[in-house]
Amino acid sequence: MIEMQDVWKEYGNGVAALSGISVRIAQGEFCYVVGPSGAGKSTFIKLMYREEKPTKGQIFVGGFNIERLRERQIPMMRRHIGVVFQDYKLLQPLTVYENVSFALEVIEASRKTIQKRVAEVLELVGLTEKANMLPRELSGGEQQRVGIARALVNKPSVIIADEPTGNLDPDNSWTIMKLFQRVNDRGTTIVMATHNRELVNSVRKRVIAIEQGRIVRDQERGEYGYED
Amino acid sequence: MKIRTVGRHAREGMRNLFRNGWMTFASISAVAVTLFILGGSILLSLNVQNISLNIESQLQINAYVSNVVPVKALPALEKRLAHLSGVRSVRFVSKVQALKQMKQILKSNADIMTGLGNPLPNAFILNAVNPQQTAAVAKEVQSTPGIESVQYGQSFLPKLLTIMNVARDAAVILIGGLLILGMFLISNTIRVTIFTRRREIEIMKLVGATNGFIRGPFFVEGTLMGLVGAAIPSVVLYELYRWIAQTVKLFPPFTLVPYPLVITHVVWVLVACGLFMGVWGSLFSMRRFLRV
Ligand SMILES: Nc1ncnc2c1ncn2[C@@H]1O[C@H](COP(=O)(O)OP(=O)(O)OP(=O)(O)O)[C@@H](O)[C@H]1O
Ligand SMILES: [Mg+2]
Repeated sequence: MIEMQDVWKEYGNGVAALSGISVRIAQGEFCYVVGPSGAGKSTFIKLMYREEKPTKGQIFVGGFNIERLRERQIPMMRRHIGVVFQDYKLLQPLTVYENVSFALEVIEASRKTIQKRVAEVLELVGLTEKANMLPRELSGGEQQRVGIARALVNKPSVIIADEPTGNLDPDNSWTIMKLFQRVNDRGTTIVMATHNRELVNSVRKRVIAIEQGRIVRDQERGEYGYED
Repeated sequence: MKIRTVGRHAREGMRNLFRNGWMTFASISAVAVTLFILGGSILLSLNVQNISLNIESQLQINAYVSNVVPVKALPALEKRLAHLSGVRSVRFVSKVQALKQMKQILKSNADIMTGLGNPLPNAFILNAVNPQQTAAVAKEVQSTPGIESVQYGQSFLPKLLTIMNVARDAAVILIGGLLILGMFLISNTIRVTIFTRRREIEIMKLVGATNGFIRGPFFVEGTLMGLVGAAIPSVVLYELYRWIAQTVKLFPPFTLVPYPLVITHVVWVLVACGLFMGVWGSLFSMRRFLRV
């Protein structure tokens, strides 16, 4: 599903964010990415949806060779990936429904598909009742569920999340976690960078720990392992 | 592309136009002013050209044949003149015809000519292909054996043509500068739109919208600015030209190029230029500010 072979990433300013990452994540896996601040977790995530390009090495995501991707193929690749952010990245002037349907409209899905899929994912994240509300009328947890609904609406084979619970209290974090669990149960791969020790330690999954741009630990049913 | 997508781009593009009202207004004004000057210059130069053509038709070269040339050599001489480079037409006026004309002009005083026989020479009347070369052609004619002397409107023509050339060069530079300014303003307006909509664009890229799809509305926005900017001076010039054609009384050689035909052509030129400015302006801003 996802494979990195000796991937290096150096930013324009000379900062070496990743130094020789090799990893393989199978279809249907649930995988935490942990590590201290500045370790390279976000960089690792960004390489997967080609927000950033690797300086060296090869990356495969769902059959796409990210490195060799031509410019016009990038959108096609991104349709197989759902991305979730710490700050939700919702469009403030649009309602919950519109924020989710936006993702299908801009890839020219049919009106029928849009109606059907948006209703389905809003049901899944439990926001059917709030479909016509604006983001600022929602709690943080609800906003993140809109973000997840948007990531899911195009039926991606993988969800990539960068600290999805970073702005949420424990209760809301649990709701989000349960949601990811359900999505994962249906066969969607999940890669989630997180600082949430409680979550990682109580819902045991594969843990990939990154420190100073290198993978220092890769453990099935692992634990968080840091004190922050 | 689906019809629904075209509709969406059009809708979004229009919305963008109204969102940056003032910048849109400035861009459209710049295009309109530019194209008004362009259209006005074209009309003016077409008419000056027309007038100078009228004048020029009277600006012929008279070449007088030497008396020693026998009549039977005249056709050969005519041929020779016709083959000179830059000569459009040659007409022969015999000394007999010339005398007749002279007598007509003198009318009642024609009898002063009696007793003189026919003092007039045989002559050829020539026109140059290019009015600007009249002087050069006249020189060539002068140096042809058998031609005694040459006459043409030496003093007047070169001045007129020089003035026209200078005016044309100045207009080209002015219009060129304004075209660039207009395109720059359009692209800058679109840049602002791109900036205000950057969050939407970010999400679109993230969920896999194609580049073409993302660019659609901005393309519409630029094109519309160019077209509206062309429509305004087109209407103004059309009405203005019609008014002049119908109201102002003119006498030859100072006549207008006929009204419906020329203005239609000018309108098409303006629309094409407006379209070009809009398309170029949007492409330029997208190239610089809408990279994936
Ligand atoms: N766009 C960028 N340009 C230059 N350097 C960057 C950029 N993004 C990240 N870095 C640097 O790369 C390194 C890794 O950053 P990254 O954001 O991947 O860390 P992280 O593990 O996600 O940290 P955190 O837990 O605080 O989110 C850091 O030293 C950071 O300063
Ligand atoms: Mg990070």
